[in-house]
Amino acid sequence: MQKYSFNILIAFAAVVLLTLAQYRILDNYIQAVIMFGGINIMMSTSLNLVNGNMGEFTCGHAAFMCVGAYVASILSVVCFGTKFGDPLLPAAASYFVFPVIILIGGFMAALSSILVALPSFKTRDDYLAIITIAVNYMVISAIENMDWVGGSRGFQGMKDTVWAMVDSTPSWLAGENDFPWVLLYVILFTIFDIWVIRRFITSTYGKGVNAVCQDETAAEIMSVNTNKIKTVNFMISAGLAGCAGGLFAHVIGYVNPQSFNILKSTEAMVMVYLGGMGSLSGAVISAVVFTFLLEILRSQALVDFLLAPATFVFPDWEPSAGVIKWVMIPLLLVLIMQFRPEGIMGNKELSDVFPKLKKYYTFK
Amino acid sequence: MDFIIQNIINALQWGSFYALIALGYTLVYGVLRLINFAHGDIFMVGAYIAFFVAGFMLGPALGLSPMVTFLLAVPLTMFLTALVGVTLERVAYRPLRRKGAHRLYVVITALMCGLILEYSNLAVLGASRLKFPELVHKVIWNVGGVTVTNLKVIVIVAAIAVFVILNFIVTKTKIGMAMRGISYDKFAIPLMGIPIDQVIVFTFILGSGFAGLAGLLFAMSYPVLEPFMGMLIGWKAFIAAVVGGIGDIRGAFYGGFLLGFIEVGVVSVFPSTYRDLFAFTILLIILWMKPTGLFGMPQSTKI
Amino acid sequence: MSLLKIDSLTQRFGGLQAVSEFSVDMQGGELMGLIGPNGAGKTTIFNLISGFYQPTEGTITFDGKPTAGLKPHQVTSMGIARTFQNIRLWHDMTVLDNIRIAQHYRLGYTVLDSIIRGKKYRAREARILEIAEELLEAMSLTEVANEFPKNLPYGLQRRVEIARAMSIRPKLLLLDEPAAGLNSKDVEELITLVKGIHDRFDITIFMIEHQMKVVTSLCQWIKVIDFGSTIAEGTPEDIQSNPAVIKAYLGDDNI
Repeated sequence: MQKYSFNILIAFAAVVLLTLAQYRILDNYIQAVIMFGGINIMMSTSLNLVNGNMGEFTCGHAAFMCVGAYVASILSVVCFGTKFGDPLLPAAASYFVFPVIILIGGFMAALSSILVALPSFKTRDDYLAIITIAVNYMVISAIENMDWVGGSRGFQGMKDTVWAMVDSTPSWLAGENDFPWVLLYVILFTIFDIWVIRRFITSTYGKGVNAVCQDETAAEIMSVNTNKIKTVNFMISAGLAGCAGGLFAHVIGYVNPQSFNILKSTEAMVMVYLGGMGSLSGAVISAVVFTFLLEILRSQALVDFLLAPATFVFPDWEPSAGVIKWVMIPLLLVLIMQFRPEGIMGNKELSDVFPKLKKYYTFK
Repeated sequence: MDFIIQNIINALQWGSFYALIALGYTLVYGVLRLINFAHGDIFMVGAYIAFFVAGFMLGPALGLSPMVTFLLAVPLTMFLTALVGVTLERVAYRPLRRKGAHRLYVVITALMCGLILEYSNLAVLGASRLKFPELVHKVIWNVGGVTVTNLKVIVIVAAIAVFVILNFIVTKTKIGMAMRGISYDKFAIPLMGIPIDQVIVFTFILGSGFAGLAGLLFAMSYPVLEPFMGMLIGWKAFIAAVVGGIGDIRGAFYGGFLLGFIEVGVVSVFPSTYRDLFAFTILLIILWMKPTGLFGMPQSTKI
Repeated sequence: MSLLKIDSLTQRFGGLQAVSEFSVDMQGGELMGLIGPNGAGKTTIFNLISGFYQPTEGTITFDGKPTAGLKPHQVTSMGIARTFQNIRLWHDMTVLDNIRIAQHYRLGYTVLDSIIRGKKYRAREARILEIAEELLEAMSLTEVANEFPKNLPYGLQRRVEIARAMSIRPKLLLLDEPAAGLNSKDVEELITLVKGIHDRFDITIFMIEHQMKVVTSLCQWIKVIDFGSTIAEGTPEDIQSNPAVIKAYLGDDNI
């Protein structure tokens, strides 16, 4: 019983969140923050597989989110939207087809990661960094040239799917307000993401990833098929990022290629290095902290307060919170690199720092 | 035929910017094994410094003529931009070097510093684009069916001159040889009595100074400045340096021009929105075929 | 049938001839030594057997099958395990994990299994753990199973590395200077360990070593190489009195 107590706790928390959302106790804004938090967790944990556990240096993670987002969006609109003609499927099917759509987006992202996995066989570090940056730009550029999905103007219509889910909610589930389907699925997928990564990484198969990271030659000689494991690792990482991208598209209801440029990749990197390379709990914690930080820095009042001395000297200057945010976040990471480069958790997990937790769930 | 020559000249001019920026990347990488991701943004800073310097010199306080402004702006911009680069090294990279921090942490710091430069610019100067004043009166020559402006010639000549100077420094001077020595063996150099810090500062002076020159020339050729102008050019110049063979200035020089030719070539045949896609793809293919770059040295590890 | 048959192996790196016409025929069960001055090409030969390099000329056949074109992990799964001159353990993983990962080629389950963790996965993981624990027991390493190699004394690390190689269940064990960096007590333990492995597990051992004590106590047959080619071979007694060998190590008397 004790072994499952953690799982029960998570399930309970999820139900509480959903109920609060359903009855509008948590307003739309808080719901959106929670959803972005979940998506950030997926982004950072999936990148952590490659940049942390495998020790590669990739800088283009947003490319996979982009692939997942667009594939999921197109499928979504084809099935339940009106942009490409009549909806293919009835609205009643929406809430169990939606996760399938997200998974297909993730799957396509996983396939596209082979583009990056292949070069990683021969190169590491700096060279791989360039390749991934180039792939990031290439994906964005390719989509900007595709007019049928809106090119650089972006693509929308995913809200139709969300309405389809809301409208066809069975009456015993729906109250007076719309059932928060997207929130539910974000929570489910976040849990799925953490579950998949944890299971992969703690198996002997997944430990091969750490072995390749620490000494690739030794791993090769000790019978680890390094090329295969790199490919598998990249595909899992990209697949989960693709799912995150698909969810992201449906939360906002609109995608455009520039939402997935090097800045988004940098966000993912900040989370991974803030949390500690290779630590799953670190990646989760830092994603939560980062989401929180982003919201706080959105407050113009706070920015005005922090920059009061400067605006005193230059009274004409009106710093905007949205821009200052992107000075503070990189600055934060620079300071982390200077004073605590191993991040919040280092390469340990929560159960290493709080051994008593091991009673409630096994981690390694 | 005229079409080809015109495009060749355009490619040389376009490639000159990449070459100038790529040289900075390769110098720092050669000496520190560090991809200075902030370098493209130093180029941007150079352009903005040039803007303010030129504005001040042309303005009511000094009221200098455009030609004099240009002649003075070149060394001044290079000097001030070099200062920015050296400050970056001192404040961000050197402390990590002192601690013997893992290379990865320095690279991340570089990436972040680039972002800080971009967004600080955006925060302080706002989103509106700045227009660079005209300094050199444009003279257009028509040779056969080919048009060449004096500005284009200046850019190309500058790039070649910089390369020649750098080549001389790196092969013939003591400090240049120290730079090359550090790239082979970081630990032996201080044992030879050469102060590593000085050599590194000198490297940054060179790299950032020439990026500043590139910024000035770019601003003169394409007079609209915006805070993110260094980002894409920086990435592409860096990839060009790698394709050429990073660590070797010949690689950066030829790689920069190669990229210029690829891009101008693509745009002359396909719609211009395909430019980046094709450029990156071709560069990646070259890297795939020759992973250490065209001039690079294969690095083998002892098993 | 011979276990390891190397025929006129030659390796050139550009203009440098690292190995010249090296041949050996091991039947199985032997404990053979490979000695020679520094730079003679010994580790290169091991790297060729392991599959890190492809030979310029010559063939390597293991258990009747040629190893040409195979990648290192494929060569390993044929039954050849190896240790390195400078210990290449994974220092941020426990000793137990180090041993388990060496069984990667016969995990017996797919990635999907590792996530879903059905019956097949659990049975295979239990078996992998069982094999690892047996091995730790056999090599007297059970107390340090959950330690990190970087925290262990050097002699113990070497033992872990050999245990990891044994986890492959190899037919041929390549030891590259196993006594390097060990103090005299550890060297004694190493000799006992290698002898014990050889007897208990009935495997063939091919060993590069500089320390004569180790070579003479363990090896039944020794090949001596210098500048890439074999200059002598024979029993330890033969080798120690062979003038060509003495010249290679100590140089010529005639100036």
